[in-house]
Amino acid sequence: MVPARLIKPKGTGDGLSLPLIALLAAIGLLIVSIANALSRATVIETTLLYWAGLLLIALPIFYKLSSKEPSYRQRFFLVLLLGLALYGVKVVHDGIYFTFTDEFVHAYNAESIARHHHLYYFNSIIPTTAHYPGLEGATSALMMLTGMSSYGAGTILVGAARLTFMAALFFLFARLSGSSRGAGLGVAIYTGSSNFLYWGAQFSYESLALPLMVVALMAFAEREAGPLERRTPWTLLIVLGILAITITHHLTSYGLALLFVALAVMYRAMKIERPNPWPLALLATGAAVGWLLIAARQTVGYLFPVLGDAIKAIWSTASGESAPRTLFHQSSTVAENVGVTPLAARGLALFAVLILLAAMVVGIRQAWRRHRDEPLPLLLMAAAVVFFGALGLRFAPAAWETGNRAGEFLFLGLAFVAIYGAAELLRSGPNLQRRRLLFTVALGVVLFGGVISGWPWDVQTARPLQATADGHEIDSESLALAKFAEQRLDGSRFAAPEAEARTLVNPGGQVAFSGQGPDIEDIVNTEAFQDWQFAVLSKNHLPYVVADRRLASGDSIRGYYFTVPGRYNDALREKGVVHKFSQLPVARVWDGGRIVLYDLKDRP
Amino acid sequence: MRGHRDLAIAAAAAVVCALVACLVPLEIVRVVAALPLTLYLPGFALVAVAFDGEDLAPLKRLTIEVAASLILLVLCAFLLNVFPFGLTTVSWAVLLALLVIAGCSWAARRRGPGSRPRGSLFASFVRPSTRSALLVGAAILIGAVSIALAQKPLPAKHAAGYTALWMLPTDAEEDAVVVGVQSNQQDSAAYRLRIGIGRGGGSHTYRLKLDPGEERTFEVPVPPASTGRTLAVASLYRAGRPEDLFRRVTRWLPRQPSFP
Repeated sequence: MVPARLIKPKGTGDGLSLPLIALLAAIGLLIVSIANALSRATVIETTLLYWAGLLLIALPIFYKLSSKEPSYRQRFFLVLLLGLALYGVKVVHDGIYFTFTDEFVHAYNAESIARHHHLYYFNSIIPTTAHYPGLEGATSALMMLTGMSSYGAGTILVGAARLTFMAALFFLFARLSGSSRGAGLGVAIYTGSSNFLYWGAQFSYESLALPLMVVALMAFAEREAGPLERRTPWTLLIVLGILAITITHHLTSYGLALLFVALAVMYRAMKIERPNPWPLALLATGAAVGWLLIAARQTVGYLFPVLGDAIKAIWSTASGESAPRTLFHQSSTVAENVGVTPLAARGLALFAVLILLAAMVVGIRQAWRRHRDEPLPLLLMAAAVVFFGALGLRFAPAAWETGNRAGEFLFLGLAFVAIYGAAELLRSGPNLQRRRLLFTVALGVVLFGGVISGWPWDVQTARPLQATADGHEIDSESLALAKFAEQRLDGSRFAAPEAEARTLVNPGGQVAFSGQGPDIEDIVNTEAFQDWQFAVLSKNHLPYVVADRRLASGDSIRGYYFTVPGRYNDALREKGVVHKFSQLPVARVWDGGRIVLYDLKDRP
Repeated sequence: MRGHRDLAIAAAAAVVCALVACLVPLEIVRVVAALPLTLYLPGFALVAVAFDGEDLAPLKRLTIEVAASLILLVLCAFLLNVFPFGLTTVSWAVLLALLVIAGCSWAARRRGPGSRPRGSLFASFVRPSTRSALLVGAAILIGAVSIALAQKPLPAKHAAGYTALWMLPTDAEEDAVVVGVQSNQQDSAAYRLRIGIGRGGGSHTYRLKLDPGEERTFEVPVPPASTGRTLAVASLYRAGRPEDLFRRVTRWLPRQPSFP
């Protein structure tokens, strides 16, 4: 018997062993972390360093996955490593606080569950989130059993979900394509989805729901591939997955229901000999609609106006009534004069779309040839085609977000089809090494393109939320106000601009309203106080009002950080935005210079 | 569960992990116990019951076990919410441990005596060479350093510092106010703080020097007004610019119980 350690491991032909790739990925992550650290330190522009780190993480893995050498198991570990390292990029973006738009909201929900021991506690920023408590409920288990904050528990839970996503997608693609090489390539291609790196990795309900959806798809593929008498275990997993997704995220539950309904119709239309999955379609639809009507009626008012606006925007843009949206610009009125995405980066993002289009065009012929009798692959092919149609939504101002969010679901299909495009490029023959290099570069461009179009260019690297001065910690104004409220005003209700409302909610732990329902946005943005404003604040029992002169306060991505003169967050509104409350007069409770907290119940 | 080592170990591990997570005060120890209890063992039990007899590949089984754990966590939160005690440390620990024990017992009964033991996940792994172990160890270390670096606040010399002034009643009696000055400046700075109470309450002046991140608080009594409310005003001036008002906060005491 040959000792195990003497067996030469496979996959060393190109000099890239798995441990070496893991080391390179870790070094890449360190470089990204250093780039973020230098950016937080406001020292130098670190964009190039950041992109170099991302390259070092991804390219060796892409190159290795394009090889024929790695075993099934090695490919599996490569995609896990890719998922883990890219999740690490999100984790090292900011320090010990959640700073992504939706994270404040979900962290508040999780803290509320831990504090009150029950679900559905009111959320003032996005009330709908409280009615989809799957993520926060699961996070509360980790919080309570470990004593960790929502940040620590949430980071671990989303990390576990992300690894599950990578693994389940690998098994799904392996089952459908019949190739572990194809599966590895497909998962690698999916990382080019615009929401993969940041949006899909934040502590938000979709970050759990989407992995569970892929698990359900994987279970369905396994169920359909196995003998009829062994369907029950997979069916059980699908059923539990449907129920968990239903109480975790609205859009994902609707997407899953739509998918099973489409499968049921296709099974019937194509006269598939296996049992029709209509019971699953019925369950998914019934659960989603039932939850919407019984437990989460607010979702109708939250979600459907957005979809309605998207449809109107598509129509008005297509008919020429309104100008198309400029790509790489934000949809809403951005509070700060943000840095524009450089021309080269825009070109790269557009080039990435062309690469994906080419992969789709080449791949769909092969995929059609092999899978035209299989409903699930056919659905994925349809999703790949629709993906490019959904890209058109990015030109309609009110529809770009709908297109962007739909993209992460549709990209599952595109990644599947692109496997066959990649296989064409990487088939055996002369110059395979060069073609592997070409594939690696192309996939690198796709990854970069996704990152560029998925997250604003100027916040790819971190900004300072906390800093040190003379060895002591100092906080940004938004964070300092939140901490003050937590320590001194616990349980109070606030009206605030977007940025302060979010930090007041988490880590401040307060009830804070912003935006337009009620119309807090106009109250905190106008220079003169009007009677209706007092009525709105009184009606909603909001004695504390945060007035912020910084234009960035209306920005839910950039508004939390320190002002860096000449670089960001230094544009100011008129003085009246702050002083109008003093003229009423009402009490000034906290004065940080640009941000002032007023107490409307405290009057002469 | 006699004769089914994997199930017995899982059930025992669930009990131990639940006890440690509930009783040990050290967070790091609780984390080590809670991670398998939440992210692996519930799914292990479910898969043991549902996939009994299935010849699942170890990696696929592991994936399903973690996925099933996530699913069960979501559903268990929903279940615990039904009960009056809700989601607490104890209720989570008990429910998850019971779930694992019940699942493993059920799986043992389904397997029956003399069934084929489940293959170990690590059985087919090639023992890594020293070089591989070193490379992976270095990768883990560098990954940990990357995350640690992200969690460390750093000097940000170009960030604009500021000083916050605040004032609140000391308690519900509202017979005194506490005024705080918090420096989030880049350097130490000196200030003059003047607190004026009503018309006859006089004023209190303090000179203070604050380091970055330092906060000082001052408590000042507020004599009750014969009529109406008493105005308290705290004004902060920088030492180098004594004439320019830097920050001001105000209060009228007692505070109104509702909107006028």
